[in-house]
Amino acid sequence: MTMPSPDKDLYRPRPAEIREVIVENSQIKTFVLAFADREYNASFTYQPGQFMMVSVPHCGEAPISISSTPAKSGTIHLSVRRAGRLTAALHDMRQGDAVGLRGPYGRPFPMTDLLGRDLLFVAGGIGLAPLRSVINTCLAAGHDRRITILYGSRTPADIAFKGDLATWGQTAGVSCLLTVDRTEPGWAGEVGLVTGLFARCALDPDETTALVCGPPMMIRAVLAQLAERGVADGNIITTMERHMSCGVGICRHCHMDEKLVCQDGPVFTLAELKQLKVMELQG
Amino acid sequence: MTDKYILKKDHLLPLLRKLKKNHRLIAPLRNRHGDTLFTEIDQLDDVRLDLANQPQNSLKQFFFPQQEVLFTYRNPGPDSYHFEPAAGESPPSLYFGVRPCDLSAVLYMDVVFLKNARDPHYLHRRRNSILVGLNCNGPFANCFCNATRNGPFVDFGFDLQLTDLGDRFLVELDRSRGQEIISAWRQFFAAADDKDVKAQYQAFLEARGKFSLQVHLDLAARRLADDQVSESVWHELSMRCQDCGGCAYICPTCTCFSIRDRQTSESGGERIRNWDACTFSGFTRMAGDHNPVDRQMRGIEKRFRHKLQFDMKKDNRPSCVGCGRCVNICFGGTDIVRFINMTCCENT
Repeated sequence: MTMPSPDKDLYRPRPAEIREVIVENSQIKTFVLAFADREYNASFTYQPGQFMMVSVPHCGEAPISISSTPAKSGTIHLSVRRAGRLTAALHDMRQGDAVGLRGPYGRPFPMTDLLGRDLLFVAGGIGLAPLRSVINTCLAAGHDRRITILYGSRTPADIAFKGDLATWGQTAGVSCLLTVDRTEPGWAGEVGLVTGLFARCALDPDETTALVCGPPMMIRAVLAQLAERGVADGNIITTMERHMSCGVGICRHCHMDEKLVCQDGPVFTLAELKQLKVMELQG
Repeated sequence: MTDKYILKKDHLLPLLRKLKKNHRLIAPLRNRHGDTLFTEIDQLDDVRLDLANQPQNSLKQFFFPQQEVLFTYRNPGPDSYHFEPAAGESPPSLYFGVRPCDLSAVLYMDVVFLKNARDPHYLHRRRNSILVGLNCNGPFANCFCNATRNGPFVDFGFDLQLTDLGDRFLVELDRSRGQEIISAWRQFFAAADDKDVKAQYQAFLEARGKFSLQVHLDLAARRLADDQVSESVWHELSMRCQDCGGCAYICPTCTCFSIRDRQTSESGGERIRNWDACTFSGFTRMAGDHNPVDRQMRGIEKRFRHKLQFDMKKDNRPSCVGCGRCVNICFGGTDIVRFINMTCCENT
């Protein structure tokens, strides 16, 4: 077997092993992965916001954002919602099974800038996956400004990343608020849209960068709320999702006007997105 | 005049015969059905070289095949998944009789396949290529390379460039492989003199005056940039486009592709890429049938905006080379020339 080189093997993945499968809820699983090539695995690194192209036998490839932090090396977490053929096949895989990986790709979150700011994270459902990477990286780096996490789920049973949410809830300087669209017996927390949580958090618009990720409906509602609070478009950051074939800026499936999500994103500021025609921002 | 040469037409076939010894030779050939196509030449003596007509295909398929295997994979068990490079190889290839539109399209493909990342499959074929161009003395009925500013003559991007001067070709050099050919086969080339260069200029002036289409590409590009193209134009185009993808397939610069797996056995398969077209409704469809672009209504708009607005904004040139092939192929009446005309005729 020949070893891949970055130029010659642009499209050829490397085998990786599923070390663990964490069931987040009925739709989302987090796959803890490590490259089969131990030496490569040890040297592999990435930045929050980047994505991997994941190969599943006979199903092709799909882009999945990395939900772990590079501060903890050795494994990569990919949190995957069951949505189509490839993700359904992936959900059927178990610990010890093999997938293919190439990456990391894409423009990451501006971590250096974020470390000096108050951070407001607003996520819905699987949208917490890329933000989880940022939050845990910030905490590992000793971020000493205010961190607020607002997380919305459909029902209490749909709340993903419970372990992280519990840890964040107990971390000094971090305020972590949850809400659900529909309540269930035993739920004593908030009910309603994630924007309903804004009333409960202090926010200094000039000092805050907001990171927003979730379904388009939620994004639009949150952006309206942030505008009302006076957060500038340049201080609002989100990540975009698009169909991709290559992940490296050639196939053009992920175009948004003159931008390519795989190269110019997936991380964008709202100021950048407003220069484009973006479905997520339109009603 | 040290860098311009004369190749007598009598010497063309003997030269090609020599070049064919070390190269795969691809040139416009007229086949038995009367079609002119860029074709790999097997036996030079058995074919009809056709430098008088525009080839129906471009060079796209030679650098970026309609379907190709990127690699193969083996999956003998759930815990075993291996990826092997595809066996593909491309011998040194000489492309002869390449008109300015198709030459410019190759230069555009260089940007697509080599700028953001270096596509190894394209790079390998491109590195093994020699481009011998042919300036256009007479544009064809649907040509508008004067409007896209890459013809009818070009002065860069080729290895050798020929201009037909009747009984002889004027030969110009740009890239180093052209010089290598001249040096290796010096006996076929004579130094050009002032008279030849003047004759070439005369041919250029005449060619420039022969375009039958008037295509106001700059005006259309400006209206797109200024957001002055009305919704009714997009609506009419969407209604009339038949979603055949013919324009994208025939286009020498349309290079969008899709990648998928083809299972070839119980435990293995190939990852293949195919030409795709941004006008197809599945082009941006994601898992769960979520589609951020209304392809039915917006597919063709995206195509024209890409070619005439977004690439213009990024690189200050359209990604249309004015070859006119889409005009011939479109039966819905929504080719780029008709779009430009619709846009320019609008009252704003």
